[in-house]
Amino acid sequence: MSRIQACVFLMLSACLSDVVHGQSVSEKIPADPQAVIVKLFGAGVGNLDSYGTGVLVSKAGHVITVANHLVSTGFLTAVTLDGRRFSAETIATSTEFDLALLKLKTDGDEEFPFMDPALAKDVAPGTPILAYSNMFRVAVGNEPVSVVHGVISASIPLEATQGRWKFPVKSPVWLIDAITNNSGAAGGLLTDESGAPIGLIGREIRQASSRTWVNYAVPMTVLKPVIAGMLEGRKLETRPRDADLTAMLTDQEMTTRYGLTLLPSVIERTPAYVDAVVPESPAGRAGFRRGDLILLIGDSVITSVTDVQKRMAEYRPGQKMSFTVDRDKELIALDLTAGQGGNGR
Amino acid sequence: MRIRWAILGVLILQCIPAGAQQSLSERERARVETIQRISPSVVCVMSSSGDGGGSGVLISADGLCISNYHVTSGSGNFMKCGLNDGRVYDAVIMGIDPTGDVALIQLLGRTDFSFARAGNSDFVKTGDEVMALGNPFLLASDFSPTVTYGIVSGVHRYQYPANTFLEYTDCIQIDASINPGNSGGPLFDISGTWIGINGRASFEKRGRVNSGAAYAISVNQVLRFVDHLRAGLIVDHGRTEFTVETSDADEVRISQVSELSEAWRRGLRPGAVLLSFAGRQLTSANEFQNILGTFPEGTRLPFSWRDDGGVHSATVRLGPLHSFQKAPELPAERRPPRPDQEQPDSGETPAVAEDELPEEIRKLFVEKDGFCNFYFNEQQRLKRIKPLRVRTESVGSPEATWKVRFEMEGTTPAVTGELAIGPKTIGMKLGDTAWLQQVGDPKAEEEPPGMAGLLIAMNQLRRLFSADTAAFGEITAFGSTVHLPLARELQILLSREGIRTGRWYFEEEEVLPVALDLEYETGIDEVRLVFENWKDWSGVVFPERIGIVNSTTEEISWLRVSDAVRQD
Repeated sequence: MSRIQACVFLMLSACLSDVVHGQSVSEKIPADPQAVIVKLFGAGVGNLDSYGTGVLVSKAGHVITVANHLVSTGFLTAVTLDGRRFSAETIATSTEFDLALLKLKTDGDEEFPFMDPALAKDVAPGTPILAYSNMFRVAVGNEPVSVVHGVISASIPLEATQGRWKFPVKSPVWLIDAITNNSGAAGGLLTDESGAPIGLIGREIRQASSRTWVNYAVPMTVLKPVIAGMLEGRKLETRPRDADLTAMLTDQEMTTRYGLTLLPSVIERTPAYVDAVVPESPAGRAGFRRGDLILLIGDSVITSVTDVQKRMAEYRPGQKMSFTVDRDKELIALDLTAGQGGNGR
Repeated sequence: MRIRWAILGVLILQCIPAGAQQSLSERERARVETIQRISPSVVCVMSSSGDGGGSGVLISADGLCISNYHVTSGSGNFMKCGLNDGRVYDAVIMGIDPTGDVALIQLLGRTDFSFARAGNSDFVKTGDEVMALGNPFLLASDFSPTVTYGIVSGVHRYQYPANTFLEYTDCIQIDASINPGNSGGPLFDISGTWIGINGRASFEKRGRVNSGAAYAISVNQVLRFVDHLRAGLIVDHGRTEFTVETSDADEVRISQVSELSEAWRRGLRPGAVLLSFAGRQLTSANEFQNILGTFPEGTRLPFSWRDDGGVHSATVRLGPLHSFQKAPELPAERRPPRPDQEQPDSGETPAVAEDELPEEIRKLFVEKDGFCNFYFNEQQRLKRIKPLRVRTESVGSPEATWKVRFEMEGTTPAVTGELAIGPKTIGMKLGDTAWLQQVGDPKAEEEPPGMAGLLIAMNQLRRLFSADTAAFGEITAFGSTVHLPLARELQILLSREGIRTGRWYFEEEEVLPVALDLEYETGIDEVRLVFENWKDWSGVVFPERIGIVNSTTEEISWLRVSDAVRQD
């Protein structure tokens, strides 16, 4: 039997008998990593996916995932290995660690299998790994997620971007020699061959200077105290630290606060087209529609997505923002009230 | 790059206990040997003009080769195939399964090709090590296959048709690199057993290159279609005449049932819970779709369901899904890759137009609507029909009437009857009751109750034995299937005469049929007969026992023949 097979076999057999594994591997390691993975489904934004992955970290149904667009748009559904569906709410997010903590809504005192972040293992480059994720949404319902094998290539600080967004984690991350970071893979689990958690699979992003796609995971040892803090309900730093992001709303904030998503700001002068409007959100109720081109906010002329993000950050909560949009060659006036924390500092 | 790998290698070795190092090198040697052993079965498939291309795998010594439909569809009826001996062989298309994205071609010129041994893909598990062999990016000019390695990332995967009719059901997901040109090539397990055909990958924003998520058609599905493909058919996939949905309680619920269907007659109604299909337990509608997609049209499959009356089981025959009359077109992005456009044509592979091929190769393709290559169907049909005609020649006299006396087994006192199978009429007497049917105009209401269809079936049997080629509108080879309730894999001849479709089942090496399923009228159950112990009676070739399958219970009741004579 091959080592990978042996490993998967051990994971499965441990599932059947706790005794088998007692001596060599901690009993607390989830018998089958598949059992602690949830498939996440939510709202897609532009070319970003409407699905993702999460890892159960408490018996009560807390789930960690990447703090990406999926989390910020809300309306998340999580599907467990046995095919049950739960709606999930965001409890805490950490921009600094690109991490979000969700809680599955349950009727009563349901108990979930979970991965204890305290078991996070530090490994060296060269360590063989298995990556579990809902990439490409291949698995649905009660199907197990995809497993990819590979090796840790390096531990390095990562400089990477996604549109205007910059990868915020300052600690070194694991670089992986397999294509782990696919659509929907963010929030998946990286384990060693014994099933011990070693990282949380990150986003589908490109390295800043070479523009190549990077396959990375944030080490679980780095996330361990952050998760612990979130589970204890400690206040966390959630504002982006990056100086040039402070004077403007982020894409995530636009979506969370107003339900308004513009085209991803990939070039400096990306026209301010509305890409998506969450129904029943403030933007939805104000009458925004997909395809609207924002021309004015108040008296300010808007020429790009960035203009919108900057201008909207200038309003204080409760203030009325008057938009003028072009919809099929017709000018339409729409009003939106600045929301909580609308002042971008 | 090389240094990094060296460092990784050292690190990996350091992670492994000393005792394991020996086994690691042994494993490597075993892997190298396995690759050497299986490589000769891997085929580089090109169009006859040498452009385009994909992969394939030899499955028999006489050159049968499985590939993807999307590889062969752009190649015309003849193609060029390269093997790792560096030689190029002519090949001809045999059969296609457009929905399943499978094609069968035959390499010509040898009868001692190396071929792959198929395993049982139902035993493949997530985590198994696998190797994909093929010709990605059309790299190898000497046709030695490229090998990529990975693990099984998931099993029983379903991949939607996505803008085409190509549907991947119950497939094997792998993380071995699959790139354009790998299509049609084999997936092997680590011991070199053939388990799938690599055909599809999740391509997205990074372009049409490996993404770590590729899909192989399971070898078990391929093998269910291979005899159909050998018969030169455009093989169709099946559909049921009921639809299902996953209920909130995670059960598979019947949503609609056609009232003219077999399933309806068995008692299946909307709201019932489908428990199993084709022998597999179900937990989702997706799973049902997954299983359904792995069977050819016409397959009879068992299923079970639960309703207010309890748990029931029965069988249904799958109807046709697409009924393609010609090979369907594929969208451009599904076509095989072409060699680098910027490279001038090196002329290494001579471009040969089909009409330049030698006659003995050209004659291997015959076009006919409804068939991929009618030549092979004709071959298969004659292989069956010729010995059958020789065997029944003595009874072929068009004017003869067969008189058959029988007794119904299991009846006390024994019920006896008589059949008169003639050129103009078929008659039956059972006890005091008699039925008579015109051969040219049989009517369902003229059939004896409890044995409905028996007279029409005898009419068809007489036609099968007749030397008159016009006895059926059409008689064709139709591959093989697992017959129910016999539960044996049998070869099929398909006959059509008016609205009547007969499936004649044969053991591979036997001349006379072992069973007949005859659809003779819409909305009425088929008559399903089993024949045992064919015997030469007085001028009549007739079985000693005829079994009549009860479609409600799937049980067989038997007629025992006591005498059969020919009256000219």
